Parts: sequence; structure tokens; C-alpha cells
Amino acid sequence: MADDKTPAADNPYTQIHVVQSGDTLSKIAQKYYGDASLYPKIFQANRDVLSDPNKISPGQKLRIP
Amino acid sequence: MKKSSLWVLATLAAVFIIGCQNQRAPAEQAVASAESALTNIRDMAQRYAPDQLQAVDAQLNGVKDSLAKGDYKGVLAAVPALNTAIGNLKDTATAKQEEAQAASAKAKDAWGPLSSDVPKMVDAISSRVDILSKSHHLPKGVTKDTLAAAKSGLDSMKSTWSDASNAATSGDYTSAVSKAQAVKDQASQIMQSLGMKS
Repeated sequence: MADDKTPAADNPYTQIHVVQSGDTLSKIAQKYYGDASLYPKIFQANRDVLSDPNKISPGQKLRIP
Repeated sequence: MKKSSLWVLATLAAVFIIGCQNQRAPAEQAVASAESALTNIRDMAQRYAPDQLQAVDAQLNGVKDSLAKGDYKGVLAAVPALNTAIGNLKDTATAKQEEAQAASAKAKDAWGPLSSDVPKMVDAISSRVDILSKSHHLPKGVTKDTLAAAKSGLDSMKSTWSDASNAATSGDYTSAVSKAQAVKDQASQIMQSLGMKS
């Protein structure tokens, strides 16, 4: 089991969110964590596909740690 | 009593004693042979058919008592049944041993996927619990009680998982799989309660 509490990128049990039109990382954080300010957690978990937290595209699959 | 009668009685007694003595060696040999056969399967029987072993031991002790009392005819009459009981005990213990070995092999196969999946489930939950603990508000459907239960569940799962891993390391895959499956079921339930399953 990982020590840093961040699941590995290939962890099949990490929840996946498919980005919808109008989504932002803040809105996604609000949905899954109840707190929009926690969006950096999602950004950090998806650095392999996101370079800017303000740029996400519909259809993208984001890991929700 | 006439001298001739005494001679007849003495002769009969001698014949009886000689007859008994003639049965002594085969009786002793039969008991030793049965005891040896039982010794050869005792460990296996103790593990896989202890109740049946206890009954056979009682049967053997009865025959040994007869031998000690010099009832060699009785011993020779009882030994075939004792040997049959020992044979049945061996068959039962062997069958149960084979069943146990098959179950262990099956458990060993099941352990592979579980040992890979369960830690990942626990990691995913641990991450979510850590993040939700920092949240100012909880998401829809998740209450403070749900989160508290998930936290205590994590501790419990880690402890049980450690036991499962130790059991697997020692070769007890049946116990390892049972514990790992319990952790997996609990993890699945917690993931559901935290809204981690879409």
C-alpha cells in the first residue's frame, strides 16, 4: 500500500470523471469533495494529461483521487 | 480322585496351556502389526479425522487389554475388525487430506488477484478519506458519520490485510484468502458509502 496516500496512476479503483461541457476542476472538486478549493488535488493527480488547471476538455477522463 | 483321572486333567490342562501358548505369538504379532499400521497414519489421522482416530485407539486399547490378560483367542478374533477400522481411518484421512490440499491450491490461485487488488482499493480509499478530511464541506450523500466510519474501517482493513499477508507468507492460503476477501468486501462497501463508485 502506498505511503503518500495518492493512488498510483494505474490504480483501477481510482474514480474516473469524464469531463462534460461546462466542467471546471473547481466544479468537479465541489461534486466529489464538497469543496471547490480542493481542485488542486485533482490537478495533481492528472498532471500527465493536464498542463493547466484551467484547461480541461469535454471527453477527457480525469482521475479523482 | 483316581490317579488316572488326575492324569487326564493334567493332560487336558497341558493341552490347553500349550494351545494358548501357540496363539500367543500370532496374537502379539497381530497387535504389533495393527499398532504399527496405526502409527504410520496417526499424524494424518489426528489432523483430518481425529474423532475416528479416537474410536480406533479405543478399539486398539481393548485388544491390547485382551492381550495383557492372555486372551489370545479373543485378540485374534478382534484384530481383523481392528485392521478394517484402521484401513477405513486411513481412507477417510487420505480423502480429507486430498480435499484440504485441493482447497489450498484453489485458495492459492485466488490469492494472486486479491493480493494485487485489495491494496489498490485500500490506497484509493485512503486517498479519498485524506482529501475529504480536509474538505470544508462534504459532498452530497456523504456525512460526517460516513467519513468517520470510513476512517475506522481503514484501520480495520489495514490490520486484517496484514494478517492476510502473514497467513499467505506462512503458506496458509485458505486463511489468507478468507481475510483478504473480508477486506475487499469492506473496501467495496466503504467506496460505495463515499460515492467512489459511479
